[in-house]
Amino acid sequence: MGALVETLRYVISYRGTEGHWAWLLHRLSGLGIALFLSMHIISIFSVGLGPRVYNFLHEVLYVSAPAKVLEVFLIFGVLFHAANGMRIIVIDFFPGLGKYQRTIVRIELLVVILVFIPAAIITLQGVL
Amino acid sequence: MGISTFRWKTKYGQPNWERISWLYMRLSGLVMFLIVTFHLLYMHMVVRVENLTFQNIVDRWNGPYGLAWKTLDTALLIFGLTHGYNGVRWSIDDYVHHRGWNLVLKMLLYIVGSILMIAGALAIFVGPGSLV
Repeated sequence: MGALVETLRYVISYRGTEGHWAWLLHRLSGLGIALFLSMHIISIFSVGLGPRVYNFLHEVLYVSAPAKVLEVFLIFGVLFHAANGMRIIVIDFFPGLGKYQRTIVRIELLVVILVFIPAAIITLQGVL
Repeated sequence: MGISTFRWKTKYGQPNWERISWLYMRLSGLVMFLIVTFHLLYMHMVVRVENLTFQNIVDRWNGPYGLAWKTLDTALLIFGLTHGYNGVRWSIDDYVHHRGWNLVLKMLLYIVGSILMIAGALAIFVGPGSLV
């Protein structure tokens, strides 16, 4: 666990640029999505248990107001992870593009935000 | 990212599983760029989450395009779970360097991952309401 504390210290103190923040956001969104996916598989498993169990879990885990707020984070996480993953693949296979990666991160973030904002507004309709 | 602290030595002539795992993350990522983005935007923006009731799922899985939906959901399950849990495994290797804890956490990860894979497959293939 010493390594984890050390990492957290570096994450806060390291004055990295776009690449560092993209890496950090990729890891955080990835771990968050993995956690959500685990919950999601269990709730879909309950389809096998019939409408009463499933509809109850669906109401609590997806439709309630706190769930809607978390859903906004999920949408941002998935969109960013997808876009940033594509950047990683492109730079892995065309390493020459590495020198433009700060620009690529900015463009990628712009595209993510352009898709995310309407998605967030649609999601939060009825909650706000 | 992705070079495991603990599996980094490979014997000559043996497959390099960490390299395969690295490549798998790229390939499954490419597939999921298409299917997860579609799944997310379709279920959240078109169907809307509040309409995803038991009946809605029954209609989709037993409808005329049921096989296509089940195939898509199976692909989401397999790619999502393996890609996601491999990422968690990389994170464990990155942050937990104590050999014992590293092993315990990864064993726990494999057990939970296997249970979720079975649970997800049961949901898709046994049929709604037939597990009771």
